[in-house]
Amino acid sequence: MQYGRFLLRRVVHSVFVIWGAATVVFMLRFLTPGDPVTALAPPDAGDEVRAALERRLGLDDPIHIQYFDYITDLMVGDFGKSMEVLDRSVLDWIFWTRFLRSVELAISATVVAIVIAIPLGVISARRRHTVSDYSATLFSLGGISTPNFWLGLMLILLIAVPVGFIPTGTPGPLLHEAVGDLLAGDPGTLGDWLRFMLLPAITLGTYFTALLTRLTRSGMLEEIGKAYVKATRAKGLPETLTMYRHVLRNTLIPIVTILGLQLGTLIGGAIITETVFEWNGLGQLLIERINARDWTMIQGIVIIIAIGFVTINTIVDLLYAYLDPRVMDE
Amino acid sequence: MISDRVKASLKREFYQSRAAQVGLALVVIITLMAVFAPMIAPHDPTTQRVGTGDTAELTDLPPISPVPGHEFVGTREQSIVNETTGEFRNVQVEVPANASHPLGTNERGQDILSRVIYGARVSMLVGILGAALAAIVGVPYGLVAGYFGGRLDDGLMRIGDVMLAFPSLVLAIALIGVFRDSGFHTTDLPDPFVAAAQADAIPNILIPRSGHVATMPEATTFPVTVTLVVALVNWVWFARIARGEALSIRAEEYVTAARGLGASNTTILRQHILPNAITPIIVLATIQVAFIILLEASLSFLGFSGTNLTWGADIQQGRNGLSSGKWWVSTMPGLAIVLAVVGVNLLGDWLRDALDPGIQGESGGV
Repeated sequence: MQYGRFLLRRVVHSVFVIWGAATVVFMLRFLTPGDPVTALAPPDAGDEVRAALERRLGLDDPIHIQYFDYITDLMVGDFGKSMEVLDRSVLDWIFWTRFLRSVELAISATVVAIVIAIPLGVISARRRHTVSDYSATLFSLGGISTPNFWLGLMLILLIAVPVGFIPTGTPGPLLHEAVGDLLAGDPGTLGDWLRFMLLPAITLGTYFTALLTRLTRSGMLEEIGKAYVKATRAKGLPETLTMYRHVLRNTLIPIVTILGLQLGTLIGGAIITETVFEWNGLGQLLIERINARDWTMIQGIVIIIAIGFVTINTIVDLLYAYLDPRVMDE
Repeated sequence: MISDRVKASLKREFYQSRAAQVGLALVVIITLMAVFAPMIAPHDPTTQRVGTGDTAELTDLPPISPVPGHEFVGTREQSIVNETTGEFRNVQVEVPANASHPLGTNERGQDILSRVIYGARVSMLVGILGAALAAIVGVPYGLVAGYFGGRLDDGLMRIGDVMLAFPSLVLAIALIGVFRDSGFHTTDLPDPFVAAAQADAIPNILIPRSGHVATMPEATTFPVTVTLVVALVNWVWFARIARGEALSIRAEEYVTAARGLGASNTTILRQHILPNAITPIIVLATIQVAFIILLEASLSFLGFSGTNLTWGADIQQGRNGLSSGKWWVSTMPGLAIVLAVVGVNLLGDWLRDALDPGIQGESGGV
């Protein structure tokens, strides 16, 4: 019952936040210098042409009608049309593969981070003040202090160039294609996928790895001091089991929320990583559309990213409250 | 404002922690570099030496190796013309390092060391001003929300939640897209040292290397939009921390006592809530400076800052040379960013450990 109410409140709140975000994005249009009709119309266009264009773009309505239309369009999944290529809708332009590419990159980076950071954090906490602890601490300090675009370029310089394979320019295969080929008996596509994914995933994942190592270490240190650890040790549970089954589990719960909040950094980082590796995803499209001053496309991409971000955060919060019901009281 | 207890704690932590000493040293060195750039930089960072006019061609010079006998060697394509037939062929010639350009030069022949030194100006200025602006907006906002509570708190924090719906870089890019065509995108800040050296206003003996300083760029281009935008996307973190502090402090007995004595809300906020909330805010501000330096570098890497003389823009500039052996152009400014951000982060850790062991520094900010 209580969880049901929490769930309802959390969902209502996120709907409100998305509505607010949509309103902010709608207002961006009025901050942009110059009006879109002048930008689109040929220089010698008469009033009639201009009026027709204005009608086409839906700018002849009063603002509150435009706002109402914008919000209702969003509710039915219509994110607007490009201003540069008329009648091309935002969703057409983003198309599914671009979206998948960005999501694959983000998930791979997260996997890299989890696989490296959690053992590193645990080792660092267990062997406090040893060489391995200091190396892990140094690594995580470097990781949170290195701009990921520079890291990407350095990886290209130090790994890709000597190896002779630079994963930029042509986009690699998508994971579902690779898995499909693997099931059909051809592992080559999966190899290609890995080759293209490796450096971008490390580039994007390093900041997260560093952050997660830091959080795991400090969380473990705090948790190790608690009484129940002494109890599990006293009853003779092997140390490794104590660490992974009890201490790490309790450490991870609060970390999940922080990582949810840090997701924004991951999305932002993905934009930069996509630029460095010419990765054909959402982020690269956003940069390209900004440079083309295609405001409606920019609005569409920004609101799609915001909706995704808010939705994932809400899911993380709901999971967290399910695992640890104490947070519902806060 | 700073009590003796706090001073003692800062000092103790500083003497005990090697990390804090390294952090402070890095930040001091980079700040001095930024302030006294015209005196330290060996060359004008904007001068191009491409072999036209009276400048010699000094493009793509490799840096000096720290290990003698292991010089880095660059190559450059050159045409060799046969004097009698007029035929020519293109060959790769080796370029020797040049002691006057210890970190080498880029494809325009600009001195990289000088550009790294000048780049510190934009990074540090945007980092510090951006964090300060974000704090100026966010702290009062959060204090008011937390102190008054109720409906006002709900309303104010909902607005903050809407801001957090956008990943900071996405919002920053969108806002810069909007504002970069406006007149205030960048502004030129005149360099006081160069102006003084040129005008002979102060006896030149007071300005080290005044003859050299007089030839340096007269102004630094400062990215106004970027500073405003980084503040705009980060103020919410200050609001959240300040609100949390105000919520707990308003229940303290000394606040009740002050109210009982007839103090107004403004007085209570200014004299009781703010001073007691200031430590976590200072720690957050330090972390934010590091984060904003990275954000600014990303924005100028993407070409949105409106000035070329920044670390991020220089990394972008050296990108094409990476696959043809010109590794130093992107590497050097990147190292500068890492050192600056490591320094500020270490400083933040020091402040956090010394001032308030209770806060989770890693979770706030960013």
